Amino acid sequence: MLEDIFRGELVRLVEDEPETFARAINRWSRDSEYLRLLATDIPVPYSQKAVQSWMEKELYATKPDLFHFTIHKLEDDCLIGDISLDGVQWQHGEAFLGIGLGQRSDWGKGYGTDATRLILRYAFTELNLQRISLNVFAYNQRAIRSYEKAGFQHEGCARQNLNREGQRWDMIYMGILSQEWEQRYKLGASGF
Amino acid sequence: MPTTSLLMTTSLFTGELVRLVTDEPDTQASAIIRWNRDTEYFRMLDSDIARQWSLQKMKEWMQKDQEPESLISSFQFNVHTLAEDKLIGFVGLGGVSWNHGEAWVGIGLGEREYWGRGYGTDAMRLILRYGFVELNLQRISLNVLENNPRAIRSYEKAGFVPEGRMRQMVDREGRRWDVHQMGILKDEWLALQAHPA
Repeated sequence: MLEDIFRGELVRLVEDEPETFARAINRWSRDSEYLRLLATDIPVPYSQKAVQSWMEKELYATKPDLFHFTIHKLEDDCLIGDISLDGVQWQHGEAFLGIGLGQRSDWGKGYGTDATRLILRYAFTELNLQRISLNVFAYNQRAIRSYEKAGFQHEGCARQNLNREGQRWDMIYMGILSQEWEQRYKLGASGF
Repeated sequence: MPTTSLLMTTSLFTGELVRLVTDEPDTQASAIIRWNRDTEYFRMLDSDIARQWSLQKMKEWMQKDQEPESLISSFQFNVHTLAEDKLIGFVGLGGVSWNHGEAWVGIGLGEREYWGRGYGTDAMRLILRYGFVELNLQRISLNVLENNPRAIRSYEKAGFVPEGRMRQMVDREGRRWDVHQMGILKDEWLALQAHPA
């Protein structure tokens, strides 16, 4: 009970002020790949102002079905991305995971997997959910591997869901059940 | 291509058993409220918590379908029988993602005496045609609850392919149920028109 559940091995989960986070999104959205890995939406470089007003209405409003965090590196406290559990259906004990790291230089270093492990622990031992779902695009191999490492199972895919760069891509469905998470982490050494 | 021969000769909104219409808000709101009292119907529609709405609340909720963003991302219709012009349910495409050419379909027949008689499948065929030849989509997706085998069968008849399951997603009546995911691609739909199943 004395462990800081927001602190991982490489990252911590926090919440930045809307202005800070909006400024970061404005910077990150200059790289279309950050946007195209994250969402199906048409990528657009966002102004800080536009992002901030959206955030204040959607992300920072008190919503019973949303748990949003920004991700900071432990080594230098640098803001590198965000992660959330959204669409929580309390009656079923389930929610959707979303995560994005804003800068290419931070990809493939384990930060995402560490953040995902933190949020799963939060979901299963603090929110007491039964199931977490996620969608990931077939062209985002790095993320797919990260989710597999964190314990997500493949559950199917929306075939040819996306049309990008002249090709159609599947959107992959993954999910993890609380009993699967418990087996994986309670038997493990880490205490996650 | 088979569909070009239908252009200008067949109404997009008329099937073999049903037609797609828009009813006045009052009519629609009253019908939805009446149907939602049947919790077996309500609990097959989606995973939302079953509750009762007043007519006013329902009309307010329906208002949001008239907002500008909804008008280009949501195409909802009521389903009437051809024989008696009776309002029996709804069907529509939502969450249209124009850049990817894909959307979600939802359907519900609130009048249970019309279940299992082909009305839903006919409405689904109409909305698929609308999606593929009027909205020019490439893909249509749907979710369906494991405890709704009639609907699953109907969707398979209409051409949907099972694509996965969200395991143990829904907790109802003391057990957990999977949500089935299905999809149909434009090429698959075109092939069905050429060689109906």
